[in-house]
Formats: sequence, C-alpha cells, structure tokens
Amino acid sequence: MFKPFTTPVSSRLASSGAVILKNFVRGKRQSNQSASTKKVVNQLSALSASRKQPKLLNLCNEDLIKHKTIVNAWNLFKRKVQQRKHLQLKKQYKSIYNAMEDLKQTSPKLFELANAQQEGKRFPLEMRIPTDYPPTQPWVYNYSPKNKQ
Amino acid sequence: MSLSKSFVRSFSGSASVHRTGYSTVHPVHHLVKVNKPALKPAYQSLLIPKDDIKSVGFKPSEIDQDRVAEHYENVIKSDLLLHNYQHDSAVIKGNKKRSWGEDSPYKLYRNLKKPKGVSRPTKDVHPIRYDNVPEVSSIIIQAYNRDALEESWLNISTRLQLSQITNVKAKQIYAKANILPWRLRRGKPCGGKVELTGRDMSQFISTLTELVLPRIRTFQGIKNTSGDNNGNITFGLDPEDVKGFPEIENFQELFPNLTGMHITFKTNAGTDDRARTLLSSLGFPFYNP
Repeated sequence: MFKPFTTPVSSRLASSGAVILKNFVRGKRQSNQSASTKKVVNQLSALSASRKQPKLLNLCNEDLIKHKTIVNAWNLFKRKVQQRKHLQLKKQYKSIYNAMEDLKQTSPKLFELANAQQEGKRFPLEMRIPTDYPPTQPWVYNYSPKNKQ
Repeated sequence: MSLSKSFVRSFSGSASVHRTGYSTVHPVHHLVKVNKPALKPAYQSLLIPKDDIKSVGFKPSEIDQDRVAEHYENVIKSDLLLHNYQHDSAVIKGNKKRSWGEDSPYKLYRNLKKPKGVSRPTKDVHPIRYDNVPEVSSIIIQAYNRDALEESWLNISTRLQLSQITNVKAKQIYAKANILPWRLRRGKPCGGKVELTGRDMSQFISTLTELVLPRIRTFQGIKNTSGDNNGNITFGLDPEDVKGFPEIENFQELFPNLTGMHITFKTNAGTDDRARTLLSSLGFPFYNP
C-alpha cells in the first residue's frame, strides 16, 4: 500500500539539519561515557577478537614447501612416538595378564590377594610433575608418609 | 500403468497412454539448502583448515613443552594400567531402559520403560585395558554470576575473568529455568563457561596444582564424595580463591567483580573412584568430608 508522507519533505530535511548542528563539535571528539562505562567497554574489547588478529604470513612457495616438510616430519615423528608408547602399554598389559594367569595356576591364594581391588588408592601428593628447575633436594631418601588421623 | 489397458487410438491424443507411471521417489532438489553467498570466491580462504599456515585463523600451538601431558604419558599411564588391572573382568552392564514385552502389538513400538530402580539409564563399566587407560579428556569451568541477573554488564566481567585465566574465549551462559525467588528467568544471561582441551587444559592443571590450590589456606582437597558416577569430578572455587590465579593476582584493580567457579574434570574413567585416582596422580588432593 502506498503511504503518503505525514510531513512535507522540505520541513523534515530542515529538522534533521538542526539536529546535526546541535551535535557538531569542532576538534577532538569527546565521549560522554562515565569512567565505569569505559571500563566495561574496555573489558568487552579485550574479550572480542576484532583487531587482535596478527597479520597473515605471506610465505613464498619455497618457504611454504619448507614449512610443510617440517610439519609433516614433526607429525610423523609424533605419530611414531605415540605408536611406540601404545605398543609398550600393550606389552605391559599382556605381561600382567600372563603373570596373573601364572599366579592363578601356582597359588590361588596369592592370586586373590593380587587381584583384590584397591579402592580409594591415591598417588602421593609429594610426587610432582617434572620441571626444568627441580628443587635443590630433588629426592627425599628417608621419606616416610605423614601419619593419617 | 496397468498392462490390461488396451491401446485405443482416438482424436483426443495419445498423451494419456504414453504418460509414465506415478513416481514414488520424491525430487531431492530444493530440499537441500545451499548457502549460496558462502560459495563466493572471496570466502574460499576461510575453507582452509586452521592448522594450515595459509589459513587466516592459523595459530601456532606447539610452541613449548607440554609438561603435564608428557608426565602423564611417560609416568602415570603405565601406573594407572597396572593399578586398574582386574583379572578375568568383564563389562559391568549398566541399568538400561526396558522393553514392555512382545506379547502385544501395542507394546512393540511403545516408548521403552524406565530402568529398574533409577530414573535414568546408567552406562556400562568397561574393564581397563591398554587402550582405555583413564585420562582427563577436558575441563569445563562454569561461573554462574547471580549479580549479573540485575547488572547485565557483569556478564562481560565474568567472561573476561574466565578467558583471562584459561586463554580460551568464554561462552555466555543463560538461565534454563524460571525460579522467581532467585529472580531467574529463562533465557537471561547469567555468567560464562569455558571448555578446555589439550595444551590449555594442561596449563590450567599445572596452574591449579602448583600456584592456586597450595595458597588457599582453607583448602583441604576435593571431596571424596564428589562425582557424577560416570567418572566426572567437580569442585568449586570461591571468588577469594580465584584471586590466586597469577593472571588476576597482578591486575586486581582491573577485576573488582570476581565470581566463583565450578571446575569439572571430564574423564573417560567410567567410575568416580578411578577418576579420583587419576586426578590424584596429577597432583590434586582428596579428603573425606
């Protein structure tokens, strides 16, 4: 449906011009945000990804081939390490299985003790993840666990 | 078309005779929606996988040693295999949904009956072998901020806090239910959530066990009762404890509104007890409440 304008075009233009004049500021723009609002805006801009993307590396063909070769070799190396570890675990599992089968035949009593489930077993807290800079006393030779109350 | 229909030549035309039969195959075109603007040549670069150096989203990930993952692979994994080994063990079947029976056609397609004794089905517990040694698959950190229901800008602070701690952009979470006394309304934004995997997860674990948890005076450990029966362990940190993260400790004036958070370790252990042993191997203490 055609809707006629409620106000004539000329008067509307004039009113919008008045608004522009009212907001016009010469020189540096000054925001009318309060300090707390600015803080939230800063937080939001820290969270958003805009303008934080580093420039795309433009590699030449030779460099690209070099890069791909290195990445492929690294992935191959990682895969081989992973396969070796998996194989080792498999061997460990099999030897545990064989040992338990053997024990079952030779001494059922010991087998039951060995196969008992240890619920609530925890690793010692003193065991730490290795670092490049270990403590000055790396291993406590006369270690005894704390008495549990 | 029936074969008995005889060929009759008439002035009206032969179209009705030569018309093919009724097709039972519905046309597929127009049912498959294709987002044609996304096929624009300008967007081709976005289709490159992000681990490719030509992609605009490429981010080098392996820039340093992953201590926690290496320690787990080299030391803990074989110990856990030995610890969890059970001779002659079989899959322990979970409580599953039950059939109503097959003696009546009405029972055949009826929705399955609830499992016996529990409200929802439970999972099977598989014996630990060399290929399913328990490991932490991901860590989920969720921060529900009650005050953000009133002051919506607090959502930004909460999400920034999570992102700052974990190096992963936090997602917004929304209220799921209408609870009037808490002023909760469905769909209201009320905090943030992060899921950590891989290197970010390792970094977070080492920060927690080496820097944050040892400095909390009241911290005794994770409760031995914590867990969802499927091997996922949760514990919480207060806003005071969150101050211990080095990323926040040194910029305290930038984070005046800290929120506590729930930290959930998702593991593939299957049972809570196995999961607790796994977490204790990574340096988390446990205590009996």
